[in-house]
Amino acid sequence: MIRDIGIVGGGVAGWMAALALVRALPGIRVSLIETEGPDWSLGPFGPAEASLPDFPAWLGDHGVDEGALLRAARGSFSLGTAVSGWAAREADWFLPFGTIGAPLAGIAFHQLAARIRETGRALRLADFSLAAVAAAAGRFARPSPDPRSILSSYGYGLHLDRAGLAAALRAASGLEPAGEFNRAIVDGAVTAVELRDGSRVVADLWLDCSGPAALLASRLDQGWEDWSAWLPCDRVVETWIQMEGVPPPHAHAGAFETGWQRTVPLAGGQGGALFHAAALLPDQPGAIPLAQGRRAAAWTGNVVALGAAAVLVEPLHGWNLALLANALARLIGLLPAAPGGPEPAEYSRLAAAEADSVRDFAILHYKTNGRTGEAYWDAARAMPVPEALRRKLDLHASRGRVPLEDGELLGADDWIAALDGQGVRPRRYDALADAMAEPRLLDHAERVRTLILDAVRAMPHHGATLRAEGLIA
Amino acid sequence: MTAPAPIRRIVIVGGGTAGWMAAAALARLIPAGVSVTLVESEEIGTVGVGEATIPPIRNFNALLGLDERDFLSRTQGTIKLGIAFVDWTREGHRYVHPFGEFGFDVEGVKFHQIWRKLHAEGRAREIDAYNVCALAMAAGRYQPPVADPGSILSRMAYAYQFDASLYAKYLRAHAERRGVVRVEGKVAQVPLRAGDGFIEAVVLEGDRRVEGELFLDCTGFRALLIEQALGAGWESWAHWLQCDRAVAVPSASPGPEITPFTRSTAHRAGWQWRIPLQHRVGNGHVYCSADISDDAACETLLANLDGAPLRDPFLLRFEAGRRKRAWHRNCVALGLSSGFLEPLESTSIHLIQSGIHRLMALLPDSGFSPVERDEYNRLTDAQMEQVRDFVILHYHANERQDGDLWRRVREMAIPETLRRKLDLFRGRGRFFRHEDELFAESSWIAVLLGQGVIPAGWDPLADGLDENKLATSFERIHEMFARAARAMPRHEEWLARNAPAGTTA
Repeated sequence: MIRDIGIVGGGVAGWMAALALVRALPGIRVSLIETEGPDWSLGPFGPAEASLPDFPAWLGDHGVDEGALLRAARGSFSLGTAVSGWAAREADWFLPFGTIGAPLAGIAFHQLAARIRETGRALRLADFSLAAVAAAAGRFARPSPDPRSILSSYGYGLHLDRAGLAAALRAASGLEPAGEFNRAIVDGAVTAVELRDGSRVVADLWLDCSGPAALLASRLDQGWEDWSAWLPCDRVVETWIQMEGVPPPHAHAGAFETGWQRTVPLAGGQGGALFHAAALLPDQPGAIPLAQGRRAAAWTGNVVALGAAAVLVEPLHGWNLALLANALARLIGLLPAAPGGPEPAEYSRLAAAEADSVRDFAILHYKTNGRTGEAYWDAARAMPVPEALRRKLDLHASRGRVPLEDGELLGADDWIAALDGQGVRPRRYDALADAMAEPRLLDHAERVRTLILDAVRAMPHHGATLRAEGLIA
Repeated sequence: MTAPAPIRRIVIVGGGTAGWMAAAALARLIPAGVSVTLVESEEIGTVGVGEATIPPIRNFNALLGLDERDFLSRTQGTIKLGIAFVDWTREGHRYVHPFGEFGFDVEGVKFHQIWRKLHAEGRAREIDAYNVCALAMAAGRYQPPVADPGSILSRMAYAYQFDASLYAKYLRAHAERRGVVRVEGKVAQVPLRAGDGFIEAVVLEGDRRVEGELFLDCTGFRALLIEQALGAGWESWAHWLQCDRAVAVPSASPGPEITPFTRSTAHRAGWQWRIPLQHRVGNGHVYCSADISDDAACETLLANLDGAPLRDPFLLRFEAGRRKRAWHRNCVALGLSSGFLEPLESTSIHLIQSGIHRLMALLPDSGFSPVERDEYNRLTDAQMEQVRDFVILHYHANERQDGDLWRRVREMAIPETLRRKLDLFRGRGRFFRHEDELFAESSWIAVLLGQGVIPAGWDPLADGLDENKLATSFERIHEMFARAARAMPRHEEWLARNAPAGTTA
């Protein structure tokens, strides 16, 4: 029976873990031990964090007031990610937090879209997504809970200052840190953690939230799976640009000749990270080494690695917080009833499957890039990809379908949007779409488009919403 | 990049349930310029016993646009709210696998976890008391669910029990109206193309030749195309599922009452199904021929009917297992030609339906790229294995003392996938369902608990909730569900009013 859980790392990951445990397991004693240095607990990905649309609900479930958090963390809203320079040097696409189009007679919208394209009409999927159209128009309002309204067809994520987020999570947990980490005492398992003042903390289970350093997990290591063969960026520079005005309601992933730039707009500035490969862009000031990959077994002995201690993958989309939230739910669901049980192995298996699915989604951006004539990108296009991604690409190429495996973080809609955005066109679409009369098809697409345009016109500007909530002046 | 031409000619061989289900669904492709031909012979009988289904059958019927009441009245159909398992766990024991959900989750904690805690402390009823389908089953009542999530009746799910040969006939009319061409004849030869070994055509007795690009093998256990012509191979699961025969007989309805559920009763060397239709009851005894003679199995069947037998019992032989490649070259096997699992959880029709659904989504073009085939086979294998594990669970977790079969299956090594599920559930009632898994968590929980697999503990999150409040709200949920069940009409009355069997049947 587990009575004491120790957390190492006082950044976003550590405090989010502390909050989840305190809320879920009132009978368990939780101690959090801080570590020195910058908060890289989710990765050294810049001073601003972007979330996927499930994060607002997580905050609500854990007693964090969204408005207060936004004000404390220079927050703004996000409807997705703009992805530029990947499909081609001058091309961009959008990964929306919401549905794209609507099915007709049980046939998925992208299949209908493929048939429409075959008639010679150009069509962009993003034009049929309310989230994408609103983002492009700089508009934002919270979605409607009424499932009949088109305003329920999207969700929203948050852009938050890292330090402000960690502080809000800490305040909601009601915990005070137990002290500062000095060293772990390891004897087959982590038997205790010694603090700076020489005192020791013991616990039945340890959560390693110390970021890439993995102060505990690396001591019991079963190895680190290296993804550098697929994800060539091995350096990152964190950036912050002070800016006035209204931040756009979306994040941005912009590719350049030898890497890409992440931008997460906040109220009053832009947090960013410049991802690149040292071999092609050496000696960048402030470059932090980045070993993308994941821990072979996220739960080993009495240590569970969380956040960047478990998986380190470039944040093309805001999946770090989602990976952590899912890991915490999994952990709480799998706290062992007795030692020697099946739980750690099951946890590690599920964690690995989820991490690999995100890795594959990231690799997709490289493998299908259209930047010909640039060594960095030509090599990425030529590389062999993991088997599961290969199958997705093959099946998509053949039939416009994307097979999902168990426990994938991104949904089929995300895959479709990314593949389509990158300019990957299936050879054939769903045979049933052929059985549909063309006027009915065009009429359907037109109706969806009109509904979206009308809804977006009626939406407030992002700036108006931010002002109304006291987030910008 | 030019794509190979789409497929223009699909040939279905075999006109049983599988064949006509496929024909009715594929008829949707006819407006796109595809021809669909079904070859069957009236001389060849089908394995048409009373058939029970699971809730997704409703999606299939809806996809075809069938009117539920018309369909029920033409197939002697009845409503099925679940399965009652009698004597499975041990002699004298009974549990139900109801469709629909148990209770309500509380603050993100699963209902069954809270139930486990309260039950351990003597503060909760048996879990069936919190399932509206289980309560309606016990009362012999039925009313259609409603979509409004605020209503208790939205917690229901249901399927059907019907005469499978009437269903095939009904679908045949539907398919033929939409342009499916039926060809009468027995297949004499299956010529293969030189080079790639694809099926070129089926040649019927009397030398009529039916050519096609894609062939569906719906010939049942004979597996005329997929095995006899193409030798796709068979993987036996007989070491896990040891029953290899069934003797079946229809019987007269015992009275006006029609139970809205299927019943499965364990016997010494197998188990017996009871499927109530509007005009009669379908029965069958599934058994292991190593443990009992055919005559004795037949006696057991007849001794356990609740009405007079309506004909001589007939014998079926089978082996649990699957076709190694359900899609091989240009042939896709659907139904019994693709694999067999005993009908303990009424999955036969569903496996056909999901095969059709997969095929429509992965329909090849004339280039027959291996990509679609491999994905089809991968998904088919995964689904068969999941259903197999679920069926094995019923056998493995037993405490029966009366026969060697039950000892053997209790002691046998089970598939690793099932082992992991059992271990996790035994600890703290945890359950990780695969996303595409057919049976929902509530189904696994019903059968796990029913078969006596009781978790040692519960989700620690349940300890964070106010126990007194929970106990009160559990009682309120039960009362609400019980009241809803009591207010429903009796099942046979609902049928008589809404979907009485047609006189033509």
